Amino acid sequence: MTLQELYREIGGDYEQALQVLRVDKLLDKHIRKLPKNGVVEGLLSAGETKDPKTLFEAAHAVKGLCANLGLTELSKNASEIADEFREGSTRKLSDAEVSERIDRIRILYRKAADGIARYEAQ
Amino acid sequence: MLESRQIREIKTVLVVDDQEVNRDVLGAILEDDYHVLYAENGAEAIERIREYMNTLSIVLLDLYMPVMNGFEVLERMKEDDMMSRIPVIVLTSEKTAELKALQMGASDFITKPLDMHEVILARVGRIIELSEGKKLISAAEHDRLTGLYTKNFFFEYAERILRVVKDSTYDAVVVNIQQFHMINELKGRKFGDQVLCAVAQEIREFLNRTGGIASRLEADRFYIFCEHQEDYGALLSRLEQSANSQGEGTVIRLRMGVNVFQEGDTAVLMFDHARTACNLSRGDFQTPLVFYDDELRNREILHQKLLYGLEAALEEGQFQVYYQPKYNIQTDPPRLVSAEALVRWKHPELGMVSPGEFIPLFERKGVISEVDNYVWQIAAKDVRKWREQYGSALPVSVNLSRTDMFDTTLPARLNRLILNNGLNYSDIKLEVTETAYTDDADHVLEVISGLRGQGFEIEMDDFGSGYSSLNMLSEMPIDVLKMDMKFVRNIEMSETDFRLVKLIIDIAKYLRLKVVAEGVETEGQLSLLKNAGCDLVQGYYFSRPVPADEFKEMIRTDLALERK
Repeated sequence: MTLQELYREIGGDYEQALQVLRVDKLLDKHIRKLPKNGVVEGLLSAGETKDPKTLFEAAHAVKGLCANLGLTELSKNASEIADEFREGSTRKLSDAEVSERIDRIRILYRKAADGIARYEAQ
Repeated sequence: MLESRQIREIKTVLVVDDQEVNRDVLGAILEDDYHVLYAENGAEAIERIREYMNTLSIVLLDLYMPVMNGFEVLERMKEDDMMSRIPVIVLTSEKTAELKALQMGASDFITKPLDMHEVILARVGRIIELSEGKKLISAAEHDRLTGLYTKNFFFEYAERILRVVKDSTYDAVVVNIQQFHMINELKGRKFGDQVLCAVAQEIREFLNRTGGIASRLEADRFYIFCEHQEDYGALLSRLEQSANSQGEGTVIRLRMGVNVFQEGDTAVLMFDHARTACNLSRGDFQTPLVFYDDELRNREILHQKLLYGLEAALEEGQFQVYYQPKYNIQTDPPRLVSAEALVRWKHPELGMVSPGEFIPLFERKGVISEVDNYVWQIAAKDVRKWREQYGSALPVSVNLSRTDMFDTTLPARLNRLILNNGLNYSDIKLEVTETAYTDDADHVLEVISGLRGQGFEIEMDDFGSGYSSLNMLSEMPIDVLKMDMKFVRNIEMSETDFRLVKLIIDIAKYLRLKVVAEGVETEGQLSLLKNAGCDLVQGYYFSRPVPADEFKEMIRTDLALERK
């Protein structure tokens, strides 16, 4: 499986990732590290606590990392959570809608992690 | 060919981000052009910054990180004088965070994701350039030692304040450390620098309370431009305290001149005046704080007029030579034996100007020689005239100023004076003030010996007014000692003063010097001096200084005595 094929499989934007990381080698290094990084797990467990500050910081980290890696859907959902819990901003989403996004992130992340595991295994 | 790239050192960049991917991306962008350091959180960043304080050109700082976030890093950097000079670009995707970071002192921001590599590289380069430019300006703007403004920037800002802030009154304050070169010499340059820094620090604290700016000029002179204050005594004593807090063993004294703004003043003018006030307290430990007031202002205007008028005065003959007779009191009746030529100035606008006003001024400004020369010429002509009229010449003594002592043409000038007027060297006597001897004794001794060798008689003027020692008397090639008038003033009332005068006369006799007593006003003084063995007397008892015509009458009267 090539990197491009991996991205197609997990729904990532390979072009955007390459725009940031410029060379396949670096993209390869960092996509392999995603499951070990812990930021996404951090957001998922923050979803359990519902603490706004923890949620904001975790979502913010996921948003940045995933944007760099071209994982646009993950980044977009994390960004919405970050917006929601940013200090000083008023809530726009219901708790259910937040949970929905956390769930979406969980699914997207599992899909990505599975793909990456297969990519690594070959 | 040497390219500027080659002489430019590789600059160091610190990348602070908890995400390895961001560190890697920024590393990939920057590593070709910069030496890149990394930190994973704020605490580590502060450590790196401290470690590379002097070489670090820029910090790229993520805002949301564990352990210590980017805001806290910005806060810490802002608090530290050195760290605050290093520019920071924040890395963020948060619009509100961007604003907050800029408000906290960040120079710029880069938005994530980091997909615009060329823009990032250009932005880093640009901010480093800007900050280096700022540092260059700052180096020219601030005195390296004390951190106060340098002269040009100080005056530029002071003028700007005067132009822009119209609703306040400002004061110009000049502070000077007395005998600073002695402090440097006695305690070393390092100690001197510490004293300067301590004074500068105290000035900064004063300005924190009052507002204003300050500069250090000419080593030990501080200029302060601040809002009007009523009391400067407190500031002066605080400054003195901190100057003296640097070590034991020396007492450091400051002096201060203050000038309050007046309509139409420029900053330069204000400080000129404050400096005049400050200089006025030079050497006067009793009044170290002097305000530039109307009296001083008027005196300065007067001095300007006098200096400005010198040339015309010489050309138009405004200077007049008066003669004060000297009498030999050991004969009965006392006989006129010589005179001292004294200058008077009849100014076309100011009327008679006291020599006490213009002589010290011209001495300070180094133009007194021109006046001296003028007096010598007139005196020589008068001596010649009297000889032609009365057959016998009465010698006249003229004053030599300190500046004359350092004029290498002096012997030739005096020589011409004698020859051109057909006089003998004994016709003109030279009076040299005592303080001239103490200035540069060896040099003066050489000049005086030369003149004496030419045939001139030398009189030491104002003996006892300065700091000369009796010891010096035996070394100095002089013929006559002129006792300062303050010795004579109290001899009738004070036994001690009289004994002192007697002692001086005895010593002079022992050294085979003639003694002239100046300032003799009463018959009582005269008889005491006569009994003490004083040879010659000059003073109001016989005559005030008189114009040449009146003096001529005195010669005639004296000659009539001879014929009796």
